[in-house]
Amino acid sequence: MLAAPVTFAPEFEVTVPLPIACLVAALGIGLLVEAIAGAFKVWTYRSPLFLLVNIVVVFGLVQGYGVGWIIGGHGALRGVFPVLFMVGAVLGILIEGLNQYWLHAWSWSDRPLFGISRAIDKSAFVGVAWGFTPLLTVLFARLIVKASMGV
Amino acid sequence: MDVPRLSIMDRLHAAVLAIGGSGLICAYWIAFFHSDLTLPKFVHNMTNPDVVRLATVYMGFESAFPLADLLVAVTSALAAFYLIGRDAKAVLFGLVASGALGFLAFIDISFNLLHGLYAPANLLGDSGLQMEAVINVGCVVGATWSIWRLWGHPLRRAEDRPSRLSAMETASLDAAGN
Repeated sequence: MLAAPVTFAPEFEVTVPLPIACLVAALGIGLLVEAIAGAFKVWTYRSPLFLLVNIVVVFGLVQGYGVGWIIGGHGALRGVFPVLFMVGAVLGILIEGLNQYWLHAWSWSDRPLFGISRAIDKSAFVGVAWGFTPLLTVLFARLIVKASMGV
Repeated sequence: MDVPRLSIMDRLHAAVLAIGGSGLICAYWIAFFHSDLTLPKFVHNMTNPDVVRLATVYMGFESAFPLADLLVAVTSALAAFYLIGRDAKAVLFGLVASGALGFLAFIDISFNLLHGLYAPANLLGDSGLQMEAVINVGCVVGATWSIWRLWGHPLRRAEDRPSRLSAMETASLDAAGN
């Protein structure tokens, strides 16, 4: 009787579902942005806890999983791109406004940011720039899914 | 510099800009891409070739709006942001947002009128068109009110307001004379 050959090949392919990919991509973007901001001291957090909350909750859950997956995770992307940016930017301005007027969780350095010197203008600029997060999240998430399928 | 206090009307204005100008626009487009909630009933009519043709034109027309509405939503949010901060840029972004909102509303109204979508027979029997009519009227009224308020707002720079500047000059001349 011949013994069956023993192989270590997986019996099924492991693919990353898009919602998880959106979360991972947004967390990656958050880590990158915070690392760059930290290196150049663009803004500083009052407590490391706010940094963690910003990366996990705002980048990962709100902009990545929430906006990226719920709005951009279904069907063709072409038409929905402006909506992704719109919702991301509006939420970004809301977050920056909450910090600027009430929370004061992070503060801006005195150095100009792309020629912008006032803190209120920096908050507004970065608020609009938040719109890129769900856009890039969905693009990277689709790449992650494709890579996991070996396409 | 003398910064004007945030009045009750300014709070209301900021809420209208944030909720009406930004929040509802975002909600509308999320619903547009993920449900039939915002669509008029006639787009589902596949029996009449004329209606099918109109539905194709209508969907193509509506699909062109998100990029333009992005401008309105973002500038409205910025106007609310600066208004809460009692910053003069609230006037700039508020006027841009209100002007763009009014412009888009009139394009939409023009399309609906020219294609007979606001004819009583169509309007009365279609809840989607009724909602669109309410949105169109709301946009025109909201944009007009916002422009009117911002034009006379204390945050608007005195140099941009000849009447206010001349009043200030007269007051300073009177003070010097006394």
